[in-house]
Amino acid sequence: MEEIIARSNVYALLSRVLLQELDHERLELFCTDETILEFLPHWRDWKFRNVERQKLLEEYLNPDFANLSLLHLIPYETFYTRADQMIETGGANPVTDFYSRYDFLVDYEVARVVSADHIGIEMEFMHHLCEAQLKAFRESDREASDELIRVQYEFLNTHLLKWAPMYLINMKYEARTPLYYDSAEMALEFILSDHEILSALVKA
Amino acid sequence: MMYLESRRTFLKGAALTVAGAAIAKGVFSTDAIAESVKESKFTNTPDTLSFYPPQDQWNHFQELSGVDWKRGGIDRRGVQSENNPDGIYVNDFMIVPTACSNCEASCGLTAWIDKKTFTVKKYMGNPLHTAARGRNCAKGYATQSQMYDPDRIPFPLKRAPGSKRGEGKWIRTTWDEAMTTIGKKMGDTIRKGDLLSRKSVMFHVGRPNENGFVPQVWETLGLDSYNSHTNICSSNGRTPSIWTANDDRTSPDWANAKLIFLNSSHAADAGHYFQQSAGFIADARKKGAKLVVMDPRMSNSAGMSDLWIAAWPGTEPVVYLYLANRILNENMVDKKFVKKWFNWDVLMNDTAYLNFMVEKGYVSKLPADKSFESYLELMKELYSPYTLEFAVKETHVPAYKLEKLYDMFIWAGDAISSYFWRATAAGNRGGWMSGRAGYFAIALRGAIGTKGGTFFHHWHVISVSGKGGSATVGQGVGGADVPKVQAYNELTWPPEWPLSTYELSYLLPHLLSDKEWQKKWTDRGLTVPSKLAVYIPRMYNPVWINPDGFRWLEVLKNEEIMELTMNLSPVWSETNWYMDYVLPVGLAGERHDQHSEATMPARWSSFRQPVLRVALEKSGWKPKNPARATLEAHIKAGLGEVWEDNEFWFDMCVNYIDPDGSLGIKKMWESKRNPGKPVTIAEWYDAAFGDNLPKLKETATNDPRYMNEEFPVYSYLRDHGYWMEEDKIYHAMEHELKFEDGEVISHGHKYPASSMHVGADGVISAVDHKGKEAKIGVEIDGKKVEGFATLSKKLEFFTQWAVDWKWKEYAIPFYPRNDKEKAEMEHIVSHVNHMYMKEENAFALNTVFRLPYNIHTRSANSKHLMEISQNHDPIWISTKDAKRLGFKRGDAIRVRIVDTVSGLESGYFVAMAVPTEGVLPGTLACSHHGGRWKLTNAVTIPNGVSDGKVATGAAPRDLNNKEFLKESPANVGKAGSQTIIDNYEGTTGLNSFGVPVAEVQMDGKVGKLKYVEGIKPFHTERFADYNRDSGNIWWDGLSGSWQNAVAPAHPDPVSGMHCWHQKVLLEPAQAGDKIGDIFVNYENNFKTYQAWRDQLTRGLDENSTLRRPRHIKRPWVRLDPSAYDVTIKS
Repeated sequence: MEEIIARSNVYALLSRVLLQELDHERLELFCTDETILEFLPHWRDWKFRNVERQKLLEEYLNPDFANLSLLHLIPYETFYTRADQMIETGGANPVTDFYSRYDFLVDYEVARVVSADHIGIEMEFMHHLCEAQLKAFRESDREASDELIRVQYEFLNTHLLKWAPMYLINMKYEARTPLYYDSAEMALEFILSDHEILSALVKA
Repeated sequence: MMYLESRRTFLKGAALTVAGAAIAKGVFSTDAIAESVKESKFTNTPDTLSFYPPQDQWNHFQELSGVDWKRGGIDRRGVQSENNPDGIYVNDFMIVPTACSNCEASCGLTAWIDKKTFTVKKYMGNPLHTAARGRNCAKGYATQSQMYDPDRIPFPLKRAPGSKRGEGKWIRTTWDEAMTTIGKKMGDTIRKGDLLSRKSVMFHVGRPNENGFVPQVWETLGLDSYNSHTNICSSNGRTPSIWTANDDRTSPDWANAKLIFLNSSHAADAGHYFQQSAGFIADARKKGAKLVVMDPRMSNSAGMSDLWIAAWPGTEPVVYLYLANRILNENMVDKKFVKKWFNWDVLMNDTAYLNFMVEKGYVSKLPADKSFESYLELMKELYSPYTLEFAVKETHVPAYKLEKLYDMFIWAGDAISSYFWRATAAGNRGGWMSGRAGYFAIALRGAIGTKGGTFFHHWHVISVSGKGGSATVGQGVGGADVPKVQAYNELTWPPEWPLSTYELSYLLPHLLSDKEWQKKWTDRGLTVPSKLAVYIPRMYNPVWINPDGFRWLEVLKNEEIMELTMNLSPVWSETNWYMDYVLPVGLAGERHDQHSEATMPARWSSFRQPVLRVALEKSGWKPKNPARATLEAHIKAGLGEVWEDNEFWFDMCVNYIDPDGSLGIKKMWESKRNPGKPVTIAEWYDAAFGDNLPKLKETATNDPRYMNEEFPVYSYLRDHGYWMEEDKIYHAMEHELKFEDGEVISHGHKYPASSMHVGADGVISAVDHKGKEAKIGVEIDGKKVEGFATLSKKLEFFTQWAVDWKWKEYAIPFYPRNDKEKAEMEHIVSHVNHMYMKEENAFALNTVFRLPYNIHTRSANSKHLMEISQNHDPIWISTKDAKRLGFKRGDAIRVRIVDTVSGLESGYFVAMAVPTEGVLPGTLACSHHGGRWKLTNAVTIPNGVSDGKVATGAAPRDLNNKEFLKESPANVGKAGSQTIIDNYEGTTGLNSFGVPVAEVQMDGKVGKLKYVEGIKPFHTERFADYNRDSGNIWWDGLSGSWQNAVAPAHPDPVSGMHCWHQKVLLEPAQAGDKIGDIFVNYENNFKTYQAWRDQLTRGLDENSTLRRPRHIKRPWVRLDPSAYDVTIKS
């Protein structure tokens, strides 16, 4: 169970940091939570991490985030998977179809993205699947739990792993703040690691 | 492998202090799928990717709200209705065409008017506009934020009685009061009837963005006092066209060119016609064209060019003459074209000039004979000194680039497109020679008038805005019965600059305060004004944009020199602060203009319109006062008492300047249909277009939609906003003269064929129906063709008349070949040439590049443009120079301006250094479009709601509401009818999105400006919903220094252009200096203007009999031939 909670939490953490600029509340968490700081060692040791929070956001983190997710890099799956590198914002996006199969609908007003195949959303989707798995586990619904593991495995293999490593490697090279540098590295490692975990579970 | 080796466990993730669910954003919802939308015509995916619906849907076009996709689209929410209030909102639009007015290009716009709220929801392009092709730049779309700018001037303003100009005390007045006061003063002045009075009511236009309307007003007033900004803009760009082809400017065919040779960044970056030009240039490059950009600064265009030529400012003629030398001496001349269209025979027959060339050492001997072959030999020798070695030394361009340029030039054949306008032309003394030499090189290759070549403006433009005379009682068709003006105004056309391309407008305050100058010319027999009865800038900010701004402030504040002043202006500006009246006229979607520009080889025109008025009229509304329909419409729409120029001047002329008709002005603007009343918009434009554009008239009157309309031509334009009369205009000089019914027709003008004769030089003359002789064409190889507009009807690379006007040495394309000649020929050597850069910290400052999101002073009322334009105006300095002087990125530096003619220092501005590889070492770049200021954040001008003011209407603003369409405010503009302004509580901000507050000090000699407060987030009730983001302002508004005020006036001795570039000395900022500070010694600046005038010009003298050559353009009003005659006492 601890593993499911951990996976769910890490997906949630990464989805948040990759989806939008941090707000004050989340920034506080990223600055104080020892576990998070351990995940992000350069960030933990960065001398500017202790500048005034507003300044940290406005002058360091947000410009970097804007560069990594809006200006110079494209955090959308279809950009990486379509031959013409166009983001599929309409109904022909396989990721949207995947969400729909499980009645998940992206609220774009909250998400502030142009398409549902944004890395932050795919990560959050995995987080929800973990949460559902956790619920099934707690209710001892073995069948549902197995099914949810299979769904996670499928989504990870048919979507996230197909493109996210490329984006995250680019992000790591482009990042100008340790927060995003470390997050990119952590995300990359994590999805590879999760692939192993899920592979093992599916095989079992 | 790295990842596998360093794999860590993520199990710790379970130990987060906060659960994952609280960290995630939570972007998923599980809404139920909405009801079926099969019944709706809307789909989640559009049928077409076109931005625009077909024109037949423009009156009624429904579109889903742009935010619908964020809420999941109609599949989930359905379409909004009474039963489904949470569905996606459907906009109910009427689409009305107009034209942008934020630069001169006149790209088409469409206003998308939400019928349910009667507001413009967005401005888009006009897909019917074949030059703009439905596209706009940022400035076009900004028209909406300008329209709903909370600080737009809501009603006519008057300086408070008892206050001084510039004190900032204002009262609300009525249009009628303003028009009565101003009209009376104008009428009283004109009634005097003497010479002075015809020079004393001055109109001063910024960018006209219309083709002849207000000039026609001034012509009917009998005044020679129409003034324009042109000589701070483009005179040096126009002079070469005038000297070469007697045409106003270049007209390139970018789209079909093989070589696009930009002299400056202007066409593709931010300048003239850039949105349209950039599109055409991109099309050409897609087809394989090469782009060369000649600019000391690496502009956006230069950055994406095939070749960047960073020539030292003002040395560009040498680049062209190097090309000419090689074209001539490597026998690459298009001999057929040159023999046919150069006026080589005029030169070969001018023995005196040939002797002069020998005497000056231009050539070693006289030509063997007068043949064309001898002409070519003469040219080969004349231009042989412009070698690669010389060009490299003078221009600082590396040899390999010049050689590459030559190869590209030859490769392109006769498809070379260029444009001579700002930067080189506007920046440098003698900058006009660049265009002269450029045309020469291009013409040697025959690339004039060709497909993909370079041509001239008048064939590619439509100017009919002032030609609606047949709709009036008195003007006659096209204004034929309007008497010509009998005056010649020395304030706008000073005798020192007889060849000035346009008015010496930027010297107005200098000339008005220069008593010595006034006395000199008065003593010599001229009638020189020493003051103006009325001064009327229009959408113009002369204080800020002109050089030596403190001199403008001095004169504008002086009520003895400027007796009555008013600005027709939609927004606050530095100038308006010092006016007596500010009368709000409309922006791009709020006024009528016929506006055409030469952006492609075609003749097209936009029709600018007040879109809300048009929407009302198309919905069935009728104004109470047809002469003030636009004013009524804008009041109904909640914009305020905002009017438009056309109706204002119709009404002024008929009812205020000449109410009893005794001046003969009233009848000129009285409606022929309704005598006694001003002509209406529909009457005027139906005549202006219909009388002058036969193809349009035929189309409109045969179109079933319009043929039964009262004003079919007007109605056609109202619905389309655009017309192209003629396309693919190439080789127009080859048009043969037409003979019909005993008449010969040239350029659309008719002459009795019997009066025609062909001179020995082939030039064809004829006498028109008024008995005036004109040169109408030229006979070449037995064909009678129209030719160019020059005296020889050919391209004049020998401008013989320049000899008579004292500029003998510059009658041919030329550039001094050595230091001695540079000293002697200083008139065509830039005042920032490297020979003047003697000090270690001396630089040539390039000032005249534009910023693509700002146009002069027309952007501070747009929150969108202001947000994207912050802190974008630093000093570009080469990394090498920066290192040498110890400047780092972000350093504040003092930029001291020094004049190279008078030797005087003007003061300094403080700017931010940005070292870059993108600028030629030894030169700097800092656009003069930064540094707006205001003296206070807000002014209180009571609305007077409690004072018996009237509501704008009772029915809700809704074009589908019949009650709303029945209403219109009564007696608009009159006392007692002042309307309540929506959500205006008596205080207005001043350009709150874009202009910071400064402190200004001036004592008659020295002026200082220091910014004291940046702009801040604010809340506004006016257009509150549209401006709900005004609290998000993150910028302080400081975007450069008001360097224009430091700049002394530098009048080019030939063209009269203000030469913008500056010699500057750089030094670190001193204690207390802040970026944006300026310090000006404007007493020195006055002496500098005098030095340029007295040391460089060759003006009229006791031998003069004419003010100016009769055959070259004297813009705006038609002068009586006698006005040109002059006698100067010795």
